[in-house]
Amino acid sequence: MRLSPRAKAAWRRCLTNPRVVTGGVIIGLMAVVAVLAPWLAPHDPQEQDLLATLLPPMWLAGGEARFPFGTDTLGRCIASRLMYGARIALYVAVVAATGAMILGTLLAIVAAYFGGWVDWLISRAIEVWMAFPPVVLALILLVGMGAGVNKVILAIIVIDWTRFCRVIRSEALVVMVRDYIAAAKLAGFSHRQIMLKEMLPAVLPLVITMMSIEMGIAVIVEAIMSFVGLSVEPDVPAWGVMIADARQTMHQAPWGVVLPVGAIFLAVLAFNLLGDGLRRALDTRLVLGRAEAA
Amino acid sequence: MMTLVAKGLSVSARLAGQTVTVLRDLDFAIEPGKILGLVGESGAGKSMIGRVLARSLPSGFVVSGGSLAFSAADGKVRDLVAMDGADLARLLGDRIAFIPQEPLTALNPLLTVRAQFDEHLARLGVPAGDRIARMIDALTQVRLSAPQSLVERYPFQLSGGMCQRVLIAMAFASNPALVVADEPTTALDVSTQATIVQIMRGLQRDHATAMLFITHDLRLAARVCDEIAVLYAGEVVERGPARIISQDPQHPYTRALQAANPPLRGPLTRLVTLPDQMPGLSALASLQGCRFAPRCPTRDASCETASPELRLVAPGHWVCCAPACSGSRPAVPPITRRSAEASGSEPILVVDTVAKHYPGKRDWMGRRGQGVDAVKAASLSVRPGEFVGIVGESGSGKSTLAKLIMGLEAPTAGRILIDGHDVTAPSSATRSIRLGTLQMVFQDPQSALNPRRPVERLVTQTMEAARSGASDAERLARATALLAETGLPPELINRYPAQLSGGQKQRVNIARALCVTPRLLVADEIVSGLDVSVQAQILNLLLDLRTERGIGLVFISHDLAVVRYLCTRMLVMHQGVVVEEGETDAIFARPQHPYTRALLAAAPPDELDSPWPPAPVQETLDATA
Amino acid sequence: MAFLTLQLLFRRLVLAIPILLCVSALVFGILRLLPADPVGMSLPPGATAADYEKLKQAFGLDRPLFEQYLIWLGKLLSGDMGGSIFFRRPVTELIAKALPATLELVSAGFALGVIVGGAGGLGMFAMRGGAGEHALDGATTIMMAIPEFLWAILLILFVGVSLQLLPFIGRLGPGIQLPPPVTGFLLVDSVLTGRWDSLRSALLHLVLPATALAIGLAPLVMRVLRSSLLETVQDDYITQARLRGVSERRILLRHALPNAALPAISLIGVQGGFMFGGTVLVEMIFAYPGIGNLMVDAVRNHDLPVIQAVALVYCVLVLGINAVVDVAYMAVNPRLRLAGSR
Repeated sequence: MRLSPRAKAAWRRCLTNPRVVTGGVIIGLMAVVAVLAPWLAPHDPQEQDLLATLLPPMWLAGGEARFPFGTDTLGRCIASRLMYGARIALYVAVVAATGAMILGTLLAIVAAYFGGWVDWLISRAIEVWMAFPPVVLALILLVGMGAGVNKVILAIIVIDWTRFCRVIRSEALVVMVRDYIAAAKLAGFSHRQIMLKEMLPAVLPLVITMMSIEMGIAVIVEAIMSFVGLSVEPDVPAWGVMIADARQTMHQAPWGVVLPVGAIFLAVLAFNLLGDGLRRALDTRLVLGRAEAA
Repeated sequence: MMTLVAKGLSVSARLAGQTVTVLRDLDFAIEPGKILGLVGESGAGKSMIGRVLARSLPSGFVVSGGSLAFSAADGKVRDLVAMDGADLARLLGDRIAFIPQEPLTALNPLLTVRAQFDEHLARLGVPAGDRIARMIDALTQVRLSAPQSLVERYPFQLSGGMCQRVLIAMAFASNPALVVADEPTTALDVSTQATIVQIMRGLQRDHATAMLFITHDLRLAARVCDEIAVLYAGEVVERGPARIISQDPQHPYTRALQAANPPLRGPLTRLVTLPDQMPGLSALASLQGCRFAPRCPTRDASCETASPELRLVAPGHWVCCAPACSGSRPAVPPITRRSAEASGSEPILVVDTVAKHYPGKRDWMGRRGQGVDAVKAASLSVRPGEFVGIVGESGSGKSTLAKLIMGLEAPTAGRILIDGHDVTAPSSATRSIRLGTLQMVFQDPQSALNPRRPVERLVTQTMEAARSGASDAERLARATALLAETGLPPELINRYPAQLSGGQKQRVNIARALCVTPRLLVADEIVSGLDVSVQAQILNLLLDLRTERGIGLVFISHDLAVVRYLCTRMLVMHQGVVVEEGETDAIFARPQHPYTRALLAAAPPDELDSPWPPAPVQETLDATA
Repeated sequence: MAFLTLQLLFRRLVLAIPILLCVSALVFGILRLLPADPVGMSLPPGATAADYEKLKQAFGLDRPLFEQYLIWLGKLLSGDMGGSIFFRRPVTELIAKALPATLELVSAGFALGVIVGGAGGLGMFAMRGGAGEHALDGATTIMMAIPEFLWAILLILFVGVSLQLLPFIGRLGPGIQLPPPVTGFLLVDSVLTGRWDSLRSALLHLVLPATALAIGLAPLVMRVLRSSLLETVQDDYITQARLRGVSERRILLRHALPNAALPAISLIGVQGGFMFGGTVLVEMIFAYPGIGNLMVDAVRNHDLPVIQAVALVYCVLVLGINAVVDVAYMAVNPRLRLAGSR
């Protein structure tokens, strides 16, 4: 495939942007750890050692080298559980963000292109969705559908398509008034050709940027839902579950809370840095919230 | 005593590691009560001078030498380049005032005229009790009616011309020694331009103010200014009395500028064009010798090595050109107009009293607002090979009419026929009828060319559409042919729009429309964003297309001279209605409708002795767009 | 002006009615997807099939779905939100008790977030290009990478448990009597009845949860205000004001800031709505007796009448705050204000 000099320059700017590089490296490392968790983890994440409960991390007094990050109330290895937890977090991040991105972008381009009642309908749907605080909508969706990781993913897609749709629709409306769209119509392009060949490439930098930020949001939503017990099965280690479990003993063993919080922080930070770097490198006009101002 | 004297003023910029001289050794002077015009095309550096005065150079640009000596009424001479920033700020708005290019964006949208004028008067030290009276007085002087109610308005409630008058009133409120006007009429319609110029010149004479008038329009500068300095690529190439510069220029560039402007009266000859366009910033660094040499029709070998100096050719008239330069003028062939009778076949396009009404937005209760009648009643017909001009100011409905013709919008009344087929309602059937017959060239190539497509895929875009099924080789061959036909060098075929100059982009824009070999082109203001020398190239290209292909053209423009140059027949549109139609020469000789007469009178005539501008038009609040 | 503002607010609220109807239908519909059986779960062990049917009838769960919705909607309009299956009390009563707590918390968090965000955004702009901007930028990056509920836990851990600076459970300290209820708002009632001890305790209890909520809003406001200021100072009217010799300070405060505030205001409208979502977990973590806490309890016990009522209350609150922010936006922007009044 031939890259335009514009695309090449954008690609170069991405690869030399410190935020993109930092975020990308952190996410890459996490992904490696998540994939290799069965081989890297010192213990099975469910293995209980009731003689070694609430051990501190190994570098603190009383810590043991076989439990590098210490243990929880049931004597399970925190390091191993964090590694396995990364699998859940990244799985939800990738699948949910991709789903929300596809649905939101599709509806945004269709709304901007056809206008009229199609746009009216989609815009009103967004208005109704925006009336819900996302957490509240997620809670009632999970009450309605029942708990589970895949239900959480579905809930994120059903809720967060609007996040994409709102921003990308206003960007697509800017593209729509460009004369090259009219020129494509006059050249005999079909609706599908105009939307795919002329409009989608124009909004793509914005889509990529938002996708990165959405993955961070998905990590947070999964953590919230597993924190309140609506996500994974009780025997699956997820970061939110770890925080909820360790909260009871936070006074004696703060590391049990701090370490998974740190893991969430690192993942979200990496996705945000990546998104922020991409926004600058791809020169999209997305400043959070600026899109609504138009 | 001169109000402003520039000596050896130079500005340089750091660009990709090398230093480029953007303005080189500028010398000029303005007396009180006189207007100096700085004339140049885009990229000449004319707006840089205003920025030097205001210390608002873009980042990376610095004044690298020279001085700007300013003397106000107190007799003290200050160097505006060297003086302290705080001292300069005290002069700005008080002794030195500015009139901007874009009046609509130069006023704060959240504050009323009164709040902004009041702020200015307060800064000038006018006591609070006197300010409103001063304001009303100043606004009356710029011939704004009902100033009492106008001051309570917000900028978005005013027209561009009204905003500009407010800004002129503010500029002259302090009775400044120097006013810098940077393209003050470029964003306005022709008739408004005439009035603004008259108001500005009246105030300037009454106050004996020195004025720096920056413009791209040599013809306008000749009417407005006492003296003109012509800039090319950051250098003054010619300077002298306005009358001499506009009527008997000596520098080959000034001559080219003058020759590139189609005349409003007299016989038409083919416009003489210069090749290419002004070098950009990055190209300046590598230029040796005379900066104009690469485009100069009369250059010799020495021009490419030695930089010429300004030399005196007549009292007060300086030219920056090698002495050897003879300045011979090439002979130009007259234009032959093909009259309508000559192409007497059946019309390709017939537009029969079409109208377009845009319904108003619904309000919160679901009631519809008033809506706009963009086009009320427009009819025209175009025969093969005929060039028809549509002239009108902004809001006249001429662009909407183009969209209706192209099927980009559906008319609310009337009929459109192509070769006798009814194509009024846009559908896939009418689209395919249009596709082979009618194509459009858009106004702004920046917007009309998808920045993600290379030239080859832009000009052959129609071959990409679902039904064509052309192979890559066929597309490449077609693209090569189209580039040759529109005078573009073949190496551009893989370039992207961002890598092209303005003139090249507009040629690509035209090449794309020619891909399906249409018999009629619809061109909407396609030369309005271009510099005169590039505009002349495009106009000649259109004439050549008629000769070689027998193509017809609907040419939409606000510029009467350009329409006169190209078109056999013309229509004048005003507020959605075609008010006059006929042979171009007949309309120019004997305009019938009062609006056409006003429009013709508003354009600055070529002959300096004929009076201009005409009687000023009062703008009232109700005329707000 | 004041009348115009009220008129605009009224208009926005009227426009919210159809949205609210859609929202209520959506809430009702989603919750009927439920695979779990709330009736069975609320029965004591050893109940008979007849007990089951009786309870089902009592809750109206044996009718067709659409009919159930209309009945629910009709009762809702008359102020009857049904009875809680779990708490066995009228939902209206539960919400009336919890809502003032949430409103106090959100008001405090909102005010804190807007003030810190606005000041931070101006600060970042004023220090642009310097070390101060980088420090603040780094701070916003960290604040945005941790969600509110984790900030709540971290604040409890470091400020509450380790440093023991501030209380972090409930609305009042142990041993402090509730002031006599007048409005239901603890702070207001304390002032009205002169109970300075409960005022002090309630304010102290508000600090940590409000901070956790404000951390969700402030960095966004900071960033948007900063970038919008950077964009605004490039505008023509700023250059023109400078060319009139207007002082830099005046240009910033009178010309640039109001224009730059517009995108920040519309962001606050959207994010202010999201802040109500933040209260759900924050209230639960601080054991703060608001509607968020009520929601979590109801979710855990599949208490449908409470869930749907609280969800609806949340939407009303979001639409309300959106309307208020929209009107503020119009008040700042004469273009919208005048277009709206025509």
